[in-house]
Amino acid sequence: MEALNIFLKAAFIENMVLAYFLGMCSYLAVSKSVKTAFGLGLAVIFVLGITMPINWLINEYLLSENGLFGTDLTFLRFILFIAVIASMVQLVEMVIEKASPSLYASLGIFLPLITVNCAILGGSLFMVSREYTFGNSVAFGLGGGFGWFLAIIAIAAIREKIRYSNIPPALRGLGMAFILTGLMGIAFMSLMGIDPAALASGAN
Amino acid sequence: MKKALLNFFKRIEPNKEKRPFMHTLFDGFFTFAFTPNHTTKDGVHIRDGMDLKRTMVHVVIALQLCYIFGTYNIGHQHFVAIGEYTGLMEGFHLKLVHGLIKVLPIFIVTHVVGLGIEFYYAYKKGHGIEEGFLVSGALIPLIMPPDIPLWILAISVAFAVWIGKEAFGGTGMNILNVALLARVFVFFAYPTTISGDEVWISEIEKIGVGEYASANYSWAHGLFDKLFGWFGWAQYGSGGQAVIDGYTGATPLALAAKEGWGAVTETYTTNQMLWGTIPGSIGETSKPFILVGAAFLIATGIASWRIMLSMLLGAIGTAWLLNMWGATPFMDVPWIYQFYMGSFFFAMAFMATDPVTAASTNRGKWIYGALIGAVGMIVRVLNPAYPEGWMLAILFMNVFAPLIDHYVLEGNIKRRMKRAKAKAAA
Repeated sequence: MEALNIFLKAAFIENMVLAYFLGMCSYLAVSKSVKTAFGLGLAVIFVLGITMPINWLINEYLLSENGLFGTDLTFLRFILFIAVIASMVQLVEMVIEKASPSLYASLGIFLPLITVNCAILGGSLFMVSREYTFGNSVAFGLGGGFGWFLAIIAIAAIREKIRYSNIPPALRGLGMAFILTGLMGIAFMSLMGIDPAALASGAN
Repeated sequence: MKKALLNFFKRIEPNKEKRPFMHTLFDGFFTFAFTPNHTTKDGVHIRDGMDLKRTMVHVVIALQLCYIFGTYNIGHQHFVAIGEYTGLMEGFHLKLVHGLIKVLPIFIVTHVVGLGIEFYYAYKKGHGIEEGFLVSGALIPLIMPPDIPLWILAISVAFAVWIGKEAFGGTGMNILNVALLARVFVFFAYPTTISGDEVWISEIEKIGVGEYASANYSWAHGLFDKLFGWFGWAQYGSGGQAVIDGYTGATPLALAAKEGWGAVTETYTTNQMLWGTIPGSIGETSKPFILVGAAFLIATGIASWRIMLSMLLGAIGTAWLLNMWGATPFMDVPWIYQFYMGSFFFAMAFMATDPVTAASTNRGKWIYGALIGAVGMIVRVLNPAYPEGWMLAILFMNVFAPLIDHYVLEGNIKRRMKRAKAKAAA
C-alpha cells in the first residue's frame, strides 16, 4: 500500500518535470513529435526503474557505515550513481538500436544524454534523502518515470497541435515550450496537496 | 433603419492606410452590426472562416439567465447576511441595484483589459479583431467572487489573455481555457486576498476573529438612496450593520469538507442549493438556469452533448466510488448531493465544452469528459488544499486533450488499415 502511495505521488502529485522541473533538457528537446517522445519516455521509465533499486543497494551495502567496507563512503555517492546510470543507459541504447533503428535515429544524441538527465540522478538522490526502503525506491523510480513519460507525451501532443498556430515569431520553438511547461505546471497543481498516505489511513 | 446604420458606418469609416488602429477598431464594431460575407460555420478552431460572431453570441445568450440571477443573488446574499429582507423577493430594488453596483465594475474591467489587449494585437498583426474575447469576457465575471478587488481582476485577465491566448497566436489557438486561466491565476497568485469564507458575500467585512459586519455603503449606493427616497421606497442607509447570529459566510462545500452533509443541511436547504440562493461565485450557483443555458447550447449545436454527458457520468461514477470508500465525512456525502453543491453544472455546460481546448474527436470527447468528471470529483473530495475541483480538473484535461486526440486518430488509422488489408486479402 505504501509503495502504491509513493508511486501515485511521484507520478502525479510531485511530478518530476512539472513540480520539480527536473529533466528539462531532453523534455524540451525531444518533445516535437509524440512518437519520439513516447520512445524516450519509455526509456526514462526503464532507466529510472532499474537504476533506483541498484543505487539503493549500492548506497545501503557499499557506501553506508554498516555496509561492506565498514566506513562512511557516502562521498562516492555521486560518482557511483552516475556510473550506474551511464551503464544502464548504455544497455538501453543497445537494445533500442537493435529493436527499433528508426527510433534510435530519431532520438539521436538525446538517448545517451539520458545519462545526464537530472530527473534520473535527482530521483536517486531523492531516494537517499527521503530514506526509502528497497520496495519504495522501486515504486518511486517507476512512478517518477511514469510521471515524466506522461508529461513529455502530453507536451509533445500539444506541440504537434500548435505547429500550425500563428505564434509570434519571437516565441516560436523553445520560448513556446517554456510557456507551455509553465501552464502545464499550473494544471498539474490541481493534484498538489492530496496526501495518499493520510487518505489511506482515513485521516484528512 | 438598417440602411441608415450602414450609411452611418460608411461615413465614419477611418482610412485604413492613414489610421490603421482606428480602422481595426471600426472593423470590430462594424462586423457586430453587419455580418461580413464570409463567416465560419463550425468551431472557432477551424480556421477557414473569417467571422465567428454567431458562435460566440450564442454562448453569450446562453449565459444571460446566469447573469440576471447572479446579479440579483449578490444583493440577496448581502441582505440575508445582515438579516434584512430575507424573503427572496423582498427589497427587490435594493438587491438588484446592489448586485449591479458589484457586477458592472467587474464586467467593465474585464472587458476593458481583455478587449484592450485583443484590439492591440489585432492592430499589430494587421487582421480584424478576433471575437474570442466575447465569450471569455462574458464567462470571467461569472466565475469570480463578488468581492474581488478590481486590480486583481485586471491583472488576472491580462495574464490569461496575454500568456494564455495571444502568445499562442490568438483566438482558437489557445491550449488552456482563457476564462479558467484567469480564475486560476487569481486563485494561485492571491491566495490570501481571495480565499477563505469572506469573499463570497459582498460587502461583508471581518472585524475580528469570527466577527463580521457589513461594510459602509459606497457613494453609488448613496446616489440610489436619494432616488429611492424620492420614490418613497426602502433605502440602504449608511451600512455598517451587524450580521445575524451564527453567520460564517461559509459555502456548502466548505461546510461539507469539514463536517459532511449533515453540517451543510443545517445551514442551507437542498432547495436553496438547487435554485442557487447561496453564496458563491457570481454566476455558478443556480443549477436550473445553467441547465437552460446548456440546453440552448446543445440545441444550437454550439456545445458538445458528448462532453457534458460523459462528464456527468464520470463525476457520478467517481462520487459513487468515494461513497463506497467512505473514509472521511466528505466522502460519505451521498453522490446525488454532490451535485447540489459547488459549480459542477457551470463547469460542465460552459467550461468543459469550449471547443478550442476540448478534445475534437468524438471518441476523444467521451474520454475527455469522463476524465474531467473523475479528476474534478477527486480534487474536490480528496484534496484538502482546494475547495472545488472543476476549474483545475478542466485545466488538467485541457493539457491532455491533444494527446487523447492523437491516440484516437492513431487508433482509427490502424483499424482502418487492418480493414483495408483484410479486404485486399479477401
